[in-house]
Amino acid sequence: MDLGFPWWLRVEHFLNIIFISFLVRSGIEILGTYPKLYRSQHTVPGTSWAQFTIQEQSKHKYYTVGGEYDDYSPRISMPGRGLLGLGRYWHFITVTGFVASWVIYFVLLIATGQWRRYVPTSWDVFVQAGNDMLSYLAFQVPEPVAGAVFNGVQQLTYGGVILILTPLVIITGAFQSPAIANHFSRITRALGGRQVIRSIHFFCLVGYVAFFVIHVAMVVIHGYMHETAKMVFGNSNLPLAGGLIFSIGLLFVVILHVVATKWTLRDGRAVERLANVVVRPWSNLLYKLPARMHYDRGNVSGGDKGLENTTHNFRGSGRPPETDEYLALMANGYEDDYVLEIGGYVERPMTLTMQDLRKLADGHSQTTLHHCVQGFTSIGKWRGIPVSDLLDLAVPLPGATDVMYTSFQDMGRDDALYEGGMYYESNPMVEARMPQTLIAFELNDDGEIPAKNGAPVRLRMETSTGFRSLKWLERIEVVNRYDIVGEGRGGYFEDADFYDRNQLI
Amino acid sequence: MEDKSSPALRAGVDFRGTDNATTRISEHIKPGQKRAPFLRYIRINLPRTVRLLLLAVIAFVGVTAAITALGDIEPFPFADPILWAIGGAAALFVVVGLVTSARLWTWGTGIAGAAILIYLVGIAGTAPYVWNGASILQAALWNLMLFASVGYLVLYAALRYGMIVAAPDNQNFMD
Repeated sequence: MDLGFPWWLRVEHFLNIIFISFLVRSGIEILGTYPKLYRSQHTVPGTSWAQFTIQEQSKHKYYTVGGEYDDYSPRISMPGRGLLGLGRYWHFITVTGFVASWVIYFVLLIATGQWRRYVPTSWDVFVQAGNDMLSYLAFQVPEPVAGAVFNGVQQLTYGGVILILTPLVIITGAFQSPAIANHFSRITRALGGRQVIRSIHFFCLVGYVAFFVIHVAMVVIHGYMHETAKMVFGNSNLPLAGGLIFSIGLLFVVILHVVATKWTLRDGRAVERLANVVVRPWSNLLYKLPARMHYDRGNVSGGDKGLENTTHNFRGSGRPPETDEYLALMANGYEDDYVLEIGGYVERPMTLTMQDLRKLADGHSQTTLHHCVQGFTSIGKWRGIPVSDLLDLAVPLPGATDVMYTSFQDMGRDDALYEGGMYYESNPMVEARMPQTLIAFELNDDGEIPAKNGAPVRLRMETSTGFRSLKWLERIEVVNRYDIVGEGRGGYFEDADFYDRNQLI
Repeated sequence: MEDKSSPALRAGVDFRGTDNATTRISEHIKPGQKRAPFLRYIRINLPRTVRLLLLAVIAFVGVTAAITALGDIEPFPFADPILWAIGGAAALFVVVGLVTSARLWTWGTGIAGAAILIYLVGIAGTAPYVWNGASILQAALWNLMLFASVGYLVLYAALRYGMIVAAPDNQNFMD
């Protein structure tokens, strides 16, 4: 068959320049907010195998992950300046197009028989590729095999990028999602754990960049006009016109990046609205994947590293409340003073003491992997009571749609990194009713939760990124609409920064 | 009041009042700049892998030099003894690198530099290129000697710049 360069292949090639370049830049932004790569999902301090930061380690005894981002230039990352939420929006917007494009491309490759351009149909191709590689190294340009559009090296390289690297980056990207990683917990572990998957995802980024550099060099060696004309007209009969049109296309991509970056830095909420339109239709489907993790006690952070105090190793993010009320609670050990209020749109409002919570929990616990939105992970054993059980006790009234959680923490007062505001979170009833959405009061069988991790009582929302698992819980309120609280976006970081309440990815 | 029972204070570790106890401290930023040079942001801590990689690259330089010396085409008069010397030095380098923990990376630049020098002189002479009558394999190995040598110098520069470390050294990440 005539393999040639059909129109859909050329369109896909151009779209991929846009998608992959946006994904690489926004991916660097995401990496930069926790610029460390680990082999262990415990992210034990001192064990990262790579760091991409110039920040000196804080000499505070306790420093939060919020201050660990590095401020990359908008010329490199998208949009730059440590704006993780907006980087995530761009990553998810473009991944929507990238994956859709790849699936369509894959189907067309199979349906039209064009898969033969990438898949070797004979072992001879590997021998040929070896010979071709030697030719390149000897400064000779090898010819394509008769009847093929590529030489052996090109066929294996393009096939590797399209049929191996791309599925790998999609799968490892998907497993960055807490909902997916925690629903398919066994697969997460089989792949080496969250941080190994994150490292592989990073290697995929390096792979794309390396491919881009070599690909461009090869295009120049083979003749820029000649080769790019194939990607415009499907043949090289008009090399000058083809090369010119392709160059204008590349210029368009550069302009697109500049405009998108400036627009994002100027009006982040507009990007958020775009993400809501493009991303939510598929990310909302992940509500069908409740977390179902059951790590062993031996998996608890640091245990397998021989650390004596595993709870100390469970990373904290955010600073404990600094009110007299909370400090008094802490001084008295919470036991006699702390009361959790459950109210709002319920039939039976109630208050529960620590003893009540322990009694209701009846020894229930879950050992789960914490996914920080920035990138760190820790495993902890949480004792507590499922929110679903508390809701059954309180009996939500008909029409109740969401559950709001309020913390003792006020961000501006307690944490110098952020502007002021009560810390709150909310989840839709479907998320609140998930089996591993938990009100926790004990970490790692230590009798309590440390102050840095949310003492005395906190929320665990295992399908979501970490900041939505509210710490220092003061009150739970069932509501029939969440959009009239705060700025109306469902939580502190959703209001003050650029994060979607749907944090399943 | 100073806590006399603090193990850190007793050990002489007192960071109280230092800059990054309260504010971010970023390194390598030149006056008037907002950010450090791009490569300063990259720090890889795979010391054993890098040590093996550096040894493997020099081994490759040595092998390609020896194979070139064995070939029919001498890049320039009396090049073969020099190529054999590079091969021998590379073998010694690799053995020392494998059986000791010596930091011999600067010595490696001598081997790589000598190989590059031979290559450059060979361009003016009768280097084993295809157009000088060499086979594809001979020409590829000749060029690979250059690429591997340049690769070593790049890795060495990255090592000196702090982007990578080779055992027995370590980045000593604290967090």
